[in-house]
Amino acid sequence: MAMSIMRINIGPIHPSTHGLLRLIVDVEGDTIENIDTRIGFLHRGVEKLLENRIYMQSPPFMEKIDYVAPMSWDELFVATVEQATGTEVKEGAQYIRMILLEFQRIASHLLWMGTFLNDLGQMFTIFMWAFRERAAVLKLLEDVAEGRMFYVNFRLGGMKSQPPSDFIDRAYGLADYLETKVPEYKDLIDNNPIFMQRTKHIGVLKRQDAIECGVSGPVLRGSGVYEDVRKSNPYYKFEKIKFSLPTMVNGDVYDRYRVRYEEIFESIKIIKQCLREYGSLENKDATGLKIKLVGPNAKPDPVIVNRELPRGEGMIYMVPEPQKPYRAAFRSPSFSNIFALKRIAIGSRFADLFAILGSLDIVMPDIDK
Amino acid sequence: MADSEEAGFLNAERKMDRLIYKGQTAEQPNVLFVKLADIMKHANPLKTWSRKNSVWPMLFGLACCAIELMDFGAERIDAERKGYLLFRGTPRQCDVMIVAGWVTKSIAPRLKTLYEQMASPKYVIAYGECATCGGPWFESYNIIHGIDQILPVDIYVAGCPPKPENLFQALINLQKKIGGDIIGDSERSISPSVGRIQEKRL
Repeated sequence: MAMSIMRINIGPIHPSTHGLLRLIVDVEGDTIENIDTRIGFLHRGVEKLLENRIYMQSPPFMEKIDYVAPMSWDELFVATVEQATGTEVKEGAQYIRMILLEFQRIASHLLWMGTFLNDLGQMFTIFMWAFRERAAVLKLLEDVAEGRMFYVNFRLGGMKSQPPSDFIDRAYGLADYLETKVPEYKDLIDNNPIFMQRTKHIGVLKRQDAIECGVSGPVLRGSGVYEDVRKSNPYYKFEKIKFSLPTMVNGDVYDRYRVRYEEIFESIKIIKQCLREYGSLENKDATGLKIKLVGPNAKPDPVIVNRELPRGEGMIYMVPEPQKPYRAAFRSPSFSNIFALKRIAIGSRFADLFAILGSLDIVMPDIDK
Repeated sequence: MADSEEAGFLNAERKMDRLIYKGQTAEQPNVLFVKLADIMKHANPLKTWSRKNSVWPMLFGLACCAIELMDFGAERIDAERKGYLLFRGTPRQCDVMIVAGWVTKSIAPRLKTLYEQMASPKYVIAYGECATCGGPWFESYNIIHGIDQILPVDIYVAGCPPKPENLFQALINLQKKIGGDIIGDSERSISPSVGRIQEKRL
């Protein structure tokens, strides 16, 4: 006997949707027949707000686009303004930025790991461990940038201030600490048969589908595509730094987890090399221009800048006026990643929906803007 | 507004009492249950004592401040010792609603529904500047300027975002507001490792 189709509403306020996301799911028995994604519950019009502010008033808005990795969006915007005004970044500041951004990537991946394991039902063990390590990273960022979650630390051509005198030693110590602590997770995650059953061969996104959906970041690399802005369009000193891109073959939930897990160690490699390079620099000056009422004038040509954010490729297209943007448009990674949800989830089981949604690592304000 | 709301609470409680007694008279009366209901009806100190020492927050977050809410629930602060037991997933089991994040026009009616689904007495904490007054999004076209325009607020927490410690302090203040002192407030303790601590910075 054929079962009738049942419609289930999830959200918009639901603990497992990582923000305000509404899903309307049609299920037949336990199989998802169709899924309808409703977004926009957090829309506040950042692009419009930018048009009424001078350039360096905007970073506090940009940080709140992706609050799990605020520094990366801040840097993307400041880099766009730097390109528009033609400001050179000091060599010391380039290394400091790379170090801080990689630490931010690690903090973001750790938070994702904790919440993802919570979604799968392994309540709170990994969550506590991941937050313990994340707290150590945030402590360093707080001492460098004078803010716990939001930093507003980037200035045109450099940073707000010099890093503290013990920055290099502490960053080395923190990198070593993470290198010893994060492998401990593997015993709890990879050796856990329940985790493996709930993630292996679940939510498969094939290579061709991933390219067609326009996903980026760890989701794309989990499907076996070797693509990263740090490799394909290297910015700052990424050409000099040796690191590899972890890619997987199957494109299932486990592969997306695995890519992020390996990326933590690649980030540690980048941090250590950058610290060595920064330590051997003669001129360690990293301070940028102070914020003034009238900053450097921007050229009228439109600019486009892309960066590898923790969630994927972020991009800003900006048509500048001398002191403020005429129009700025964002390409946020979560916005394109969530479109893969429909393609993955149809045909899979309802119980796996939140494993799939969690593995895409979406942040809702990043989508709603 | 406060008066009418209080009257509403009282009416609801009276209705509940009537229902309890009805149930008891229709069938075999449970003596213990009747006595307990009687005590709860007359002994207000017991009521306030149990209310203020088991404040259960609701598990929901709107935006950035929810990340600090997660940090509050993680290893940083052991909040359970003060009675904020667990973040509950349904509004029907909760006493306090922590609004963490900006409230857009589309989410405001849903927020109100959540508040109405909670069992009284219920309390609201506006956590962070967006929930307090609109915060950095004050000039946006899609933002409610503070949740006090749609809900009665008990405690405001300032900051963008406030630290988890600030939420801890806000919940302690809420307990004081509910009534009396807090369990463990008069006790003083000293760590066995005092004097031997070497702070290791990472």
